[in-house]
Amino acid sequence: MTLAIQGIGLTRRFGGFTALDNVDIAIRQGEIRGLIGPNGAGKSTLIDVLSGRARNPGGQVLLNGVDVSRLTPQQRRKRGMARSFQRTNIFPELSVEQQLRIASWAVEDADTDEVMDELDLRALADRPAAEISYGDQRRLDLALALVGRPRVLLLDEPAAGLTMEESLDLARILRDLANRWGVTVLLVEHDMQVVFSICDQITVLHLGRSLSEGSCAEVRANPTVIAAYLGTEA
Amino acid sequence: MTVAAGDVAPRVKTRRGTPLLLVLGVAALVAGFTLPWIAPSKVAMSLMAQSLFDALLATSVGFLVRQNGRVSFGQAAFFGLGGYVFAILVARSLVTPEVALVLALAVPTLVAFLFGLVVARVTGVAHAMLTLAIGQALYEIAFRWRELAKGDDGMSFDLPARLFGLPTRGLQDPAVMVVLAWSILVVALLGLKLFSQSRTGQIAAAIRDNEERARFIGFSTTLPRALVYAIAALIAAIAGTLQATYNGYIAPQMFHWSLSGAALVMAIVGGAKFIVGPAIGAIVLFYIKDLAGQFAEYWPAIVGTVLVVVTLVMPEGIVGLIKRIGGLGQRR
Amino acid sequence: MLIQLLNGVVYGGLLYLLSVGLVLIFGLRQVVNFAHGALFMIGAYIGYSVAAAGSWWGGLVVAVVAMAIAGCVLDATLFRALRKQDHIVTVLVTFGLLLILETLVTVIWGKAYLRYPMPDLLSGTVDIAGSPFPVYRLFVIVVSIVVALSLASWLRFTRIGLYVRAASTDARVTSIQGINVDRLSLIVVGLGTALAGLSGVVAGPLLSLSPTMGNYILIDSFIVVVIGGMGSFGGAFVAALLIGQIHNFGAIYLPWAGTMLPLLLMVGVLIWRPTGLSGART
Repeated sequence: MTLAIQGIGLTRRFGGFTALDNVDIAIRQGEIRGLIGPNGAGKSTLIDVLSGRARNPGGQVLLNGVDVSRLTPQQRRKRGMARSFQRTNIFPELSVEQQLRIASWAVEDADTDEVMDELDLRALADRPAAEISYGDQRRLDLALALVGRPRVLLLDEPAAGLTMEESLDLARILRDLANRWGVTVLLVEHDMQVVFSICDQITVLHLGRSLSEGSCAEVRANPTVIAAYLGTEA
Repeated sequence: MTVAAGDVAPRVKTRRGTPLLLVLGVAALVAGFTLPWIAPSKVAMSLMAQSLFDALLATSVGFLVRQNGRVSFGQAAFFGLGGYVFAILVARSLVTPEVALVLALAVPTLVAFLFGLVVARVTGVAHAMLTLAIGQALYEIAFRWRELAKGDDGMSFDLPARLFGLPTRGLQDPAVMVVLAWSILVVALLGLKLFSQSRTGQIAAAIRDNEERARFIGFSTTLPRALVYAIAALIAAIAGTLQATYNGYIAPQMFHWSLSGAALVMAIVGGAKFIVGPAIGAIVLFYIKDLAGQFAEYWPAIVGTVLVVVTLVMPEGIVGLIKRIGGLGQRR
Repeated sequence: MLIQLLNGVVYGGLLYLLSVGLVLIFGLRQVVNFAHGALFMIGAYIGYSVAAAGSWWGGLVVAVVAMAIAGCVLDATLFRALRKQDHIVTVLVTFGLLLILETLVTVIWGKAYLRYPMPDLLSGTVDIAGSPFPVYRLFVIVVSIVVALSLASWLRFTRIGLYVRAASTDARVTSIQGINVDRLSLIVVGLGTALAGLSGVVAGPLLSLSPTMGNYILIDSFIVVVIGGMGSFGGAFVAALLIGQIHNFGAIYLPWAGTMLPLLLMVGVLIWRPTGLSGART
């Protein structure tokens, strides 16, 4: 199996504080990888480093085996790496359809109809994004990342603020698209039910380091993970 | 590829919009030829021409607000630069008049493009100060460098006899200038409309709306922004060159920040959210000022009050207000 | 040379008094106050009128109190309404206010340049390193140092000061237990405009009075705020002294560059560090 995305020795410091400390991560093509850990574990930082949002991090990022560490976010997007954001990050004044269409121009005029249909945005096509409901905005955020069928999708809490029903719905769509489009997903998520229901493998971060990695069952059974994180919720 | 008819409707609408726009444009151009007959006197015509120069400058700064979401207190920099480049080159016969005209438009555009590359990332007050800086820097140069164009006194110059083979005498005749300035304004507004519908224009709008996300959906954000600065500057340069040509005179005040500020006010009052808004704001304010002649002393306070009220109460300006009233009418 | 340095400190001190007011208002209300230069000017004119009526020091007090009241009124009406608005909106509204206030001054005091007298107590010169130096300029330096020190200790050692510092560096700080933001902002904005008035009176005898006297110094103050890093008090202090020196030495050694030098410095700083020297938010 080929690796879709790989991070080697990823490190990020803010002043004296080390948010990410020499983390290695490797995700196979088509895999959905869950990324969990308590607040401040470095989950969002890891996504920022992989996607190129963090400036001058330490370590290397490989996309399909090619080093993209020095590329800008827009160059990474053109090579098939897309991301969503923890705080809804859309174009408030543009209509749903217009922003998806604009997004498609960056990736060889990809089809926008398919994402609108898959994420059930068709009925909202002409509405300015600022006016649609929060749940719809979260799906639009995801849709912007999905335009052009990226090979790697980095999702930072896509279900944040959604109801249980909406979250599970989103999880189902993700699982389905990953299968059909062959998208590799790295998913940061607090909701364990969502994580365990769709992820193939899970990485646990703690205090900026990788604490454990394995299948859902393995992670659930790992005593250090329970002690550091899961124990408090179970 | 089977899509319900309702789904494609919005796209068809924008495609049908372009010919309609052209028809409107041609109608506006034709209507322009009646302007000299509407004006009751030469003085009125001259005022009309001046209001059209203002309208172009306001359109320029309004376009910057609309497309880049940034306010500029220095758009007069490019207005003055256009006028100065043309006047100085012509007065000293350094190049042929045609080349002078091209340079008068190209130099400000290029300067603005480079400026845009540098300041594209700067927001808020810092951006306002940087735009102010470029205007005041040029003002100081024009003011102090007497050998360049007589410094503070300003410089009169004679137009070349012919430009592109046409006699230039008419350029200082208000009847001709009114028609010319009006036509240029119409073409400029059409051009801006087409730009904002183009891919680059829409990408620029997305960048204004959310720069970070624009980068993460795959766009470089500096270049489209710089392009918007350049286009805005081109329009300001056209206005400056027209004014210099019409008056046969340039002065450092063409660069001054009070002119930039005035243009910004016109744009906001007219409605910077709309492409025609700034031009309408400029013309309305120009004529109110003319009517308010006996209160000229209080004029800045009147403008200030209008600006405060418009910004707080009707942020979409005159055009927004008209649209809202029109919209209400339709609903009934 | 020493004299020239001191002259730079005089202008830097005036700039500090103005820019620190801008920082206070921006910190609490997120309002970019373009009308600050107009308040500076009105302070100067009020002080002038009272001084002309007989009491220079009375003019100082009246101007400062009047501007403090004006600030409270502005805060309670306009700034409170603007607090949630985009920076562009606050710029436009306060720019409109500037136009209104300038006209007001023209109507009351006319357009002609007026000469602001010096108090008898401070006319005359002292010898500094063998050269005469006006006592009045020393007075300006002392005033700005006193203000800087009192402000710094207020910010550092009081609870309100702590809150003001927090609010100025992070817009998201909106409440601290037991502090009424609206009442606090009344005090802070009033303090900011009072300092503008103080600065106007103190600058009066050095500059001549005119309805546009606020413009250049306002631009320089904004440059100070931008270079110092929006919302940074320390940054504003350092930047004010820096601009004061540049302004002064520029006028002597590079007269042709005139008022461009501070602008050029700002451009340089912004290219080097887009958020200003202190690296605070923009």
